[in-house]
Amino acid sequence: MATIHDEIDNWLAGDLHGELSDEERSTLHAHLVDCAACRKTHQETKLMNKILEETLAQEKADPAFEQRMLSRFRKRVPQQSGPVKLLRDLMHLRAAQITAVAAVLLGLVQLGRMITGENAIAARERARYASKELFQEPAQVGASWPARAGALDKSDELAAGKPKDLALAAPQSSAETRSKLERDFKAFPATVPPANAAQTEMAAKETGSEGKVMSYATEPTSAETPPSALVNRKLIRNATVELEIVSFDDAVQKITESANEGRGYVATTNSEKQANGKLRGQVIVKVLPENLDRFLQKVRGLGELKNQTLGTEDVTKAYFDTDARLKNAHVMEQRLIDMLKTKTGKVSDLLQVEKELGRVREEIEKMQGQLKYWDSQMQFATVAISLAEKDMEEPAAFLLKERAQLAVYAPDVEKIYNDIKTLASPKVQITNAQLNRDYSGRVSAQLSMLIAPEESDAVIARTKGFGRVENFQTQTERIAQGGSGMSENAKTKRDKVELSVTISREEQEQPLQQTSLRIRTSSVDEGAKELRALAEKQNGRVRNSTFNRDPDGRELANVWLRVPMKNYSTLMQSLNSLGKVENVSVQRQDRTGAQIDEANAPADISIQVYSQGNIVSHESGLLATLRRTLAQSAGAIMWSLRMIGVAVAFLAPWVVAFVALIWSTRRVIRARRRL
Amino acid sequence: MDASEREQYRAAIHGDREAFEMIIRTHSRALFAIAYGILQNREEAEDVVQDSLVKAWKTRWRVRDPEKFPAWLAAIARHRAHDVFRKRRTVPLSEETIDAIEPEPANTMTLDRQLHSALADLPELQRAALTLRYFEEMDYRTIENTLGLTNGALRGILGRALASMRKQLRPAMASMD
Repeated sequence: MATIHDEIDNWLAGDLHGELSDEERSTLHAHLVDCAACRKTHQETKLMNKILEETLAQEKADPAFEQRMLSRFRKRVPQQSGPVKLLRDLMHLRAAQITAVAAVLLGLVQLGRMITGENAIAARERARYASKELFQEPAQVGASWPARAGALDKSDELAAGKPKDLALAAPQSSAETRSKLERDFKAFPATVPPANAAQTEMAAKETGSEGKVMSYATEPTSAETPPSALVNRKLIRNATVELEIVSFDDAVQKITESANEGRGYVATTNSEKQANGKLRGQVIVKVLPENLDRFLQKVRGLGELKNQTLGTEDVTKAYFDTDARLKNAHVMEQRLIDMLKTKTGKVSDLLQVEKELGRVREEIEKMQGQLKYWDSQMQFATVAISLAEKDMEEPAAFLLKERAQLAVYAPDVEKIYNDIKTLASPKVQITNAQLNRDYSGRVSAQLSMLIAPEESDAVIARTKGFGRVENFQTQTERIAQGGSGMSENAKTKRDKVELSVTISREEQEQPLQQTSLRIRTSSVDEGAKELRALAEKQNGRVRNSTFNRDPDGRELANVWLRVPMKNYSTLMQSLNSLGKVENVSVQRQDRTGAQIDEANAPADISIQVYSQGNIVSHESGLLATLRRTLAQSAGAIMWSLRMIGVAVAFLAPWVVAFVALIWSTRRVIRARRRL
Repeated sequence: MDASEREQYRAAIHGDREAFEMIIRTHSRALFAIAYGILQNREEAEDVVQDSLVKAWKTRWRVRDPEKFPAWLAAIARHRAHDVFRKRRTVPLSEETIDAIEPEPANTMTLDRQLHSALADLPELQRAALTLRYFEEMDYRTIENTLGLTNGALRGILGRALASMRKQLRPAMASMD
């Protein structure tokens, strides 16, 4: 514990300032009596205290100080009242601050969504829409009532008044047009001015809606067609008939007879002889329109009817139009001629008139020609008869086409390819020869040849002798020539035989039988070696082999063997000496056709020799697990570090901006205050 | 601190102007003492008190605990005074003024001036404590409250202040005797 002597300054200060308790004071005084040094200090301190009291008392604030402070404070901080003060006070409330910050954040989020183009805009739009509706509703209610009432009135009108009008108007107009039409029809029998017809139609269009026109367009045609109208119609009738007959000539003769009976004539006849001796042709007959139906009936009796069309073309309107125009043109011509006769005016005008006259005359001729053509067409109906003799499609001859295809497997593809090529002769033509060698060195060849029928068997037999033949196919096709179907008289001819040969190396041959099995041994390496030796003893070949060792000590060898079928069973038996044979699966592909040499056909065996590995692999031991865990946790730490980095990168710009803003505002405020 | 006082502080913090004006009446002298202790200049000290009061009013909502209001006021005044003091020091003196100041030997200086220079050499806290004590004759407890000191610390501070003053002024005092 510190003694009084050590802390004499503190004690003296307390004593002088009257802050010592009675006990403390007596202790101090007791010490002062004992200690001369402290007594001296006491004296000095007392003097110091006195000096300070005297000096500093002069310096202390004058009595009016508080009042001065107050009045200056009031001047500098004017009393605020009303909403500003309320707002300021509110700003200082914690809850208000939190709310404001939340609002600002929300606003920022909304702004961000707007900038990134999320559907904030749509939402806002919807909100605005809703508010608009809300605002407008009261106004609308006021304004829309009278309008709605008006609308109701109108609809009443519609319900009551307008339909009445319509009902009145509709029968009236239809009655009007009908009467008009009847009048027009009555006017027809007399030499009808062609313009009138056009007028009728125009009138009909004017008087009613389309529906009404339709209604009487159907009426007269369906029920009450006046016969007189039909007579005055300008109709062009024609027909086409398609017949199958026994003899073309007979038919033509009968058609001519019938035509003559009906005061008609045969306009054209043409015929064509097919390869199989049958005839086909067309006869065009002109008959009087009124005899057309009778004539057609007669023609139909000639043979089997395949097809018939009967058409009527109504040219009434066009005919009368042209007629009227022709008359007008005649009038025009006359007037132009008159103008030329009077011979007044300039030469150029006369030339103009001359030109015009030429144009009008040309038109007149055109129209006259058109009318004449129509007249001739109307005078006679045209019947086009297509005739074809029966069994038109009978073939004239048959061709026997033979195709053969075979695949040859041999050790030396190129040799056989060349051997087959030597077979070529005038009777054996090689159309295509192709030798392919792909990037892995496999060779295959394809040959196509055309062989004369008498040589074909011999050539095919020789080709077969070149190697092991697989997949021999022949196909014979009988092709009808100049028709289809059957024919009793047609000859059959043998065509050249098409032979295509594919030559491949033996390895590419599809095995007849495929076997896969697994053998478990303790030593895979030796097992594989032994297997190889066994296969060679049985005249087999190792086609492919792999060896691999797993991290957990498992060894695995895959060997693919190919042996002739005859040695297959002995090899299979000898495999038992290698180890435990498991999972044997055999797949045999029997092919139809006796061409296969079964004893020499290849059999594939795929053997998997394997050994059991360690029970606990290197991958799942204690150390490995520990190592993996460490690696994963290190990865996790790295990941979290990255995330922290991302977060910092996310926030840092904002923090920096915020701090800078605050700093600069404070600077500005301070600078202003100093001024 | 009694309840009525605390209530006064609380009201002032919540924007009661009358309560704040009351605080101005009761505390501005202490603030002046503190400011004077640092600046040793009446006008400047008065300005500092004024600025501090305005600042205190504007930022009053920062005080969460009404008990600490006086200490907070004092802290504002001290900081403000420091600002002023620092600014004053950086104002360069012109050559004329430097020439005008004639170095005086220590023994020829008046006691008053020596006292002020000794005061200026004290640490700021000791100066503030001294001025509070000798201007307003405040008791230790109030001073501790005002300066935000822990109970009993003031005696040591004032003891040290007096001792160092005493040592500085010892020759002058000797001549006085």
